[in-house]
Amino acid sequence: MKLEFDANLCRGHGRCYTLAEDLLEEDDEGYVTARGQIVDVPPDQVEDARNAAGSCPERAITILED
Amino acid sequence: MTVTDPAPGGETIADRVPSGCPVVHLDASPPLEAGSHWQKANELRETSPVFFNTHAQGYWMFTRYDEVREMYQHPEIFSSESITPWEPEPVYRFVPTQIDPPEHSKYRQLVSRWFAPNAVKRIEPQAHEVARRLVTELAPRGECDVITDFAMRLPTEVFLALIGVPQADADLFVPWVEDFFAGFGGDLAQQEAMGAALGGIRQYWVDVLAARQDDTEEREHDFVSMLLHSTVDGEPLGDALILDILTVLVLAGLDTTRGQLGYLFRHLAENPADRRRLIEEPQLIPSAVEESLRLYTIIFGDGRKVAQDTEFHGCPLSKGDMVYGLVSGANRDPRVYDRPDEFIVDRRSNNHLGFAGGPHRCLGAHLARMVMKVAVEEWLAVVPDFRIASDTPLMERGGGAMMALLSLPVSWEVSA
Repeated sequence: MKLEFDANLCRGHGRCYTLAEDLLEEDDEGYVTARGQIVDVPPDQVEDARNAAGSCPERAITILED
Repeated sequence: MTVTDPAPGGETIADRVPSGCPVVHLDASPPLEAGSHWQKANELRETSPVFFNTHAQGYWMFTRYDEVREMYQHPEIFSSESITPWEPEPVYRFVPTQIDPPEHSKYRQLVSRWFAPNAVKRIEPQAHEVARRLVTELAPRGECDVITDFAMRLPTEVFLALIGVPQADADLFVPWVEDFFAGFGGDLAQQEAMGAALGGIRQYWVDVLAARQDDTEEREHDFVSMLLHSTVDGEPLGDALILDILTVLVLAGLDTTRGQLGYLFRHLAENPADRRRLIEEPQLIPSAVEESLRLYTIIFGDGRKVAQDTEFHGCPLSKGDMVYGLVSGANRDPRVYDRPDEFIVDRRSNNHLGFAGGPHRCLGAHLARMVMKVAVEEWLAVVPDFRIASDTPLMERGGGAMMALLSLPVSWEVSA
């Protein structure tokens, strides 16, 4: 499983890196550093990743299933 | 149906309401029994995704999650030139709140770093100190009004600490903010006090600016000094713009956090099981804070001004029309949330719009979350059991501004 972060939609709500803190981190302005990127999700973090994606108020995170 | 006086032969906004669009007359500004505004939002949302409201000059209302999010994400259609649908030509200008992209991002970048998670973490120890001091002072009394004795004071002191001015000046800001919001919701008897409060806030920042005007270097951890030493498009901001920014931060940040804290503490007072769970599993406090922002959102709705003619979910919008996205309807939309009217402490996938969305997403969201988390932690550590001490129903300020309980009297046992 992968997460894709839409750079244009991300507004720095901070829900994703709060809910998946072992997978994601924030930059100095509060955006997720993975903005505009695709991130591999290790098997033990699938649940956190789903919560993060589902909690984005901008729907900026797309879940890409393997 | 008459809404506005038409120009001779001219068409009014009401003439454009399509036959499938229900018409209501809704003025959300009067105070009501607590919870009434969310109930009203639920009714509207389940009746229709869109309404025409004949209140004031008349404006469109969107009631469901997807439509409200769409409104926030399309500033090229929905401008922030006015954010109050009953006031299309506001006399005030909040920066960067009322600036549209692309200009908006220049100002937003200036201030966003100051309110980002790392900056907020830096002052979290101070927030704990303030909260602990307030609760420790209140505890022996066995009773208090959460709204005035705790929920207003805490965010005010933390905000002042973050900005880099004396926390003790909360003594000045608390009455100013109270007086401003007494009038902002539309109570005409309070307009003079509102004006005086705004004058007080502005003069405070004029003095803070003057004290820094001759500095050759930027002061550390000092927001006003940072603004004075910043440029946009190669030009200094100028005092007028800096004052606009500082004033809106005060008005957007203090009363709102107070309002959210009030509803969260009402919930904790009425739900011992949730209280116990947060004491036993404190790692759930952030999730409970998030759920309170969804279920008990203080934003009844948010306004925008139409910037270009467009068709939106069957509504023929014309440039200059006002629209109102019913955030309270969106946050309880059963199309998005399971058990939407229940407080679920460990709710997953909570993508509420309590902090808005799009480019104007609440600047202080990270600060507000931290203050609310700290408030619950410190309060429950000292007062684990408390109840509402009122025989009459609690009342809330109307949705014309931000909703807030007018008072929240609570009591608890004091051990001898």
